[in-house]
Amino acid sequence: MAVLELERDVATEAPVRRPRRVGMLFIGSVAWIVLIGLSAIFADWLPIQSPTDMDLLAKRAPLFSPGHILGTDHLGRDELSRLIYGGRVSLLVGLLAPVIGVIIGGCLGMVAGYFRGRLETFAVGGVDVLLAFPPLVFVLAVTAFMGQSVANITIVIGVLGIPAFTRVARAVTLTLSEREFVTAARALGATHSRILMRELLPNVALPLLAFFLLAVAVTIVVEGALSFLGLGVPPPTASWGSMIGEGRENLDIAPWLAFLPAGFMFLTVLAFNVIGDTLRALTDPRPGAL
Amino acid sequence: MAKFLGRRLLYLLPVLLAVTLLTFLVASLLPGDLATTILGDQATPEKVAALRAEMGLDLPIWQRYGIWLWGVLHGDLGRSFRTGETVWAAVTARLPVSLELMVIGVVLSLVIAIPLAILCAVKSGTALDRFFTGLAFGKLSLPNYMVAILLIYLFAVELNWLPATGWVPFAEDPLANLRSFILPAVTLAFAEWPVLMRVLRSDMIATLQEDYIAMAKAKGLRPARILLVHALKPSSLTLVTVAGINIGRLIGGALIVETIFALPGIGRLLVGAIYARDFIILQGVVLFVAAGFVVVNFIVDMLYAVLDPRIRHGRA
Amino acid sequence: MTSIHSRLAKIILPVAIAAGLSAAPALAQKKGGALTVGIELDIAGFDPLKVGVYDTSPNIAASLFLEQLTRLDENGKPKPSLALSWSASEDYKVWTYKLRPDVKFSDGTPFNAQAVAFNFNRQKDPKNNCRCAFYIANVLSVEAKDDLTVVYTLKDPAVNHPALLTRPDQNSTIHSPTAIQAKGDDYNRNPVGTGPFVIKSWTAGDRMVLERNPDYWNKGKPNLDRVILRPLPDAQSRFASLVSGETDVVWADEYEADNITRARKNNALQVLEYVGSGAGVAALNTKVPPLDDVRVRQALVMGLDKKKISQALTNGLARPASNPYGEGSWVKCKDDGALPTDPKKAAELIKEYGKPVQFKMLFTATPRGRATSQVYQQLWKQIGVDMEIEQVDQATFPPRAFQRKFDIIGWRIVDFPDPDVQMFANFYSKSPLNLANYSNPELDKLLEQSRVTPDEGKRTEAYCAISRLLNKEATWMWIFQNTYYAMAKAKVKGIPKLYGGVIDVSDAWVE
Repeated sequence: MAVLELERDVATEAPVRRPRRVGMLFIGSVAWIVLIGLSAIFADWLPIQSPTDMDLLAKRAPLFSPGHILGTDHLGRDELSRLIYGGRVSLLVGLLAPVIGVIIGGCLGMVAGYFRGRLETFAVGGVDVLLAFPPLVFVLAVTAFMGQSVANITIVIGVLGIPAFTRVARAVTLTLSEREFVTAARALGATHSRILMRELLPNVALPLLAFFLLAVAVTIVVEGALSFLGLGVPPPTASWGSMIGEGRENLDIAPWLAFLPAGFMFLTVLAFNVIGDTLRALTDPRPGAL
Repeated sequence: MAKFLGRRLLYLLPVLLAVTLLTFLVASLLPGDLATTILGDQATPEKVAALRAEMGLDLPIWQRYGIWLWGVLHGDLGRSFRTGETVWAAVTARLPVSLELMVIGVVLSLVIAIPLAILCAVKSGTALDRFFTGLAFGKLSLPNYMVAILLIYLFAVELNWLPATGWVPFAEDPLANLRSFILPAVTLAFAEWPVLMRVLRSDMIATLQEDYIAMAKAKGLRPARILLVHALKPSSLTLVTVAGINIGRLIGGALIVETIFALPGIGRLLVGAIYARDFIILQGVVLFVAAGFVVVNFIVDMLYAVLDPRIRHGRA
Repeated sequence: MTSIHSRLAKIILPVAIAAGLSAAPALAQKKGGALTVGIELDIAGFDPLKVGVYDTSPNIAASLFLEQLTRLDENGKPKPSLALSWSASEDYKVWTYKLRPDVKFSDGTPFNAQAVAFNFNRQKDPKNNCRCAFYIANVLSVEAKDDLTVVYTLKDPAVNHPALLTRPDQNSTIHSPTAIQAKGDDYNRNPVGTGPFVIKSWTAGDRMVLERNPDYWNKGKPNLDRVILRPLPDAQSRFASLVSGETDVVWADEYEADNITRARKNNALQVLEYVGSGAGVAALNTKVPPLDDVRVRQALVMGLDKKKISQALTNGLARPASNPYGEGSWVKCKDDGALPTDPKKAAELIKEYGKPVQFKMLFTATPRGRATSQVYQQLWKQIGVDMEIEQVDQATFPPRAFQRKFDIIGWRIVDFPDPDVQMFANFYSKSPLNLANYSNPELDKLLEQSRVTPDEGKRTEAYCAISRLLNKEATWMWIFQNTYYAMAKAKVKGIPKLYGGVIDVSDAWVE
């Protein structure tokens, strides 16, 4: 399931080595995220129409129509408003799902990388099982069992992201465990939990954060894919993915209905990628182990 | 080496067991089962109970798993209650489609990714490098369902050069078969090449800074030879890993590509089986997909050993 | 008015024989060639015991290689197919069919009365637990009187029984008994019939290739050498395949209004349209609050502006329905008691009810269900009703309906040549499909009366009374009439009316 693939194994992928100064691209990306983020947060107070109110007789109004700057969708709903509210859902899922991965996968990976032995075999085995398990079966089963909702979608994508975070955390921990400061702490008689929390965690956190931002980008695309397949957020909630899916049916009559949300998604994902990548380049611990 | 092989193989079995058991558990979560699907509007509780008993669905889950596993160990994957089709027939009918799509897609993505990566690594830091890495970066942010739709409208509907949906069996007409795979494979390759190019490029840059490359240059070897023989092989470890994972995943079919281009692949079989609650088929497909994934990863591990002898000894 | 049916019943139809043998080709029919048809869904199989019910996609395939005793002519009346003629007893409870001689299944098995009885008994046998048995509940027995005479004995009278056998469905198609017995579990995907084509190859999920049956009883038929059926579930891909020439005919529905409009403008394409009987409907579960209150139900009906919905979802293509029969039915009512579309009145009724009106409506998890659900929700919101959308997959939908685990559920009254089957199934109080959970002795009496009345005028009266009653009680909502579509290349000829949405290309040719 190429599209549902959460781990692009970015962990093993070295960042593009950029000059170590923060470029215009980075500033632009941050600005875009801030803009999208603020409009998502304050959507309820913005002077825009309701994202669900329909003008059934004015469906697929073109761009710059009176009252609808970006036109209306196939059911006569204000496109701008849906883009903003859709961004809210996409960002919400995109930011929350990787949190699940970062917490569970991060702990699992650190413990596995630090203690090695059976525990590691077990964790790596668990990751392999999750990876070998067709993600779509999981998605369909969970949504059929618990119902389609933003929360459930978030949980599903979050769980699917665990293996990737486990791998990153483990790889970083593996290299760090052999560093002098860990050996020193051990020699001084520090407990395992102290070493994990005080010595390792601060050092693992940064690469995990960089990876987290890339995971946000991937999650937004995955949520879009699920919504595109009709397995994402339930109607009438808008998300960029469902808007692309619905817009697809109108591609040659109102192509902007698919291209606008696609463009928004593209820019947002690109921005998260740029920010994540820049952070990673700045903090690159260059984990040697595969 | 033999010991290493054996250990790896031994490791595969529990993974497969866990995956299939997980499928059983997850499938049992789904509301409704094959009995309710078959009976439809006739699904009175008594009839459902009778049919469930007939199909063995009323047994506890571990017992059903045991029966299934026993069958698999004896080479019997079972038969769908719904269609009467054997799992073997259902899977082998679809597998070639998914495999062909995967192979063409992956080869295509490598053909794009490898030369670009070498080019960018050699010219690293130049405008050329920045252009292609930027392009790859941008593509990462473009979902492949968008790519698929664009390709269909451009090449199938507007230009009418290539079929949008016309999968033709290879045995029937090899040329038409290949034509029908162009758009889906290009869609897949579009999704894969940026990742592959990025990993190879950065590994290549690192390799090119190694001493032995400088030595080879000093010895006056031709640059092309240095790049392709001395630099490419040690730089391709990560590439092989990433490509391996992608291949493993694609054995399970690429559902969106299959749906949009109407390819009868594994992905659609899987979804159909879930929707119809045809768990015997589901179970069989998952077994195949998981086995494929595990085997590909196994091969990737083997390739490591070939590419980098240290791993053979270091890890075993 | 002297009913046509009462006359039909007493005489054996001599005209029928002539009509059946020479299908009166007014146009020059071209022989040979192949036709590729894009159908909507993949086909699971054809063994009634396994699949239970055929939906449109298997119906289309079945019309090529399987046959029924009768089929519908251009006027929607039964004409001979495997049966040559028929007659009924005075009380319409016993129907006798004379079969066509010298017909063989494509595996060489002779077609005869025993084969018809075998097919029926297999479906009826309680041990076989066939979902299909429900639809023949009214038939007590089918007996072979001699090789070419079959007698159907019915529980309740059916004045239009031959019409009920016309659909290429799970109950009416006649399969080869030897093939069924010999192949067992494998029969489902290796079916054998008497039709003009035989299945040559079938790749699940991809295509079914049918070639002309060289031993077909109707010499000179079919016109085509080969028909290929391809399941193309995605509407946009399906239309794209027609435009790019990979298919010659595709199934369509009104939710593809844009494509239909485009096809109509395209000289190389044609659109086939058939207004059938029946309708897309919704059942209101009258046992759960707030739907147990008739005011709420009426408000919901009045608040749903079907013209607007049609405009929004189908560019105005879908015709609003006001009763369960539709324009395609012979039941025409002067007064069907339809409630007016009146959101203001609806809002008042909701206010009068006093309590907040909240409920869930069940839709399939498809793009169509998605779009429809949102429009309903929006329209009802405007009259002060809070509807929550619940989307479930196809496997969950029927059990939920049957177990009445819903507040409102979308449903369909299928296009049938005679309304009786569908009316009884959906509205009779003791029917397992009485989805509205509604019982009313008056309604039951009217339903019983309409099935035993031979006179068409009197039956119409009864059916219109039923419609008035249902509309007044608002236990069901009639949304859109059944209209069936197919899009085809202009050079494809000879496809009959799309009865029940079935695209029957068995007689088609390509110019």
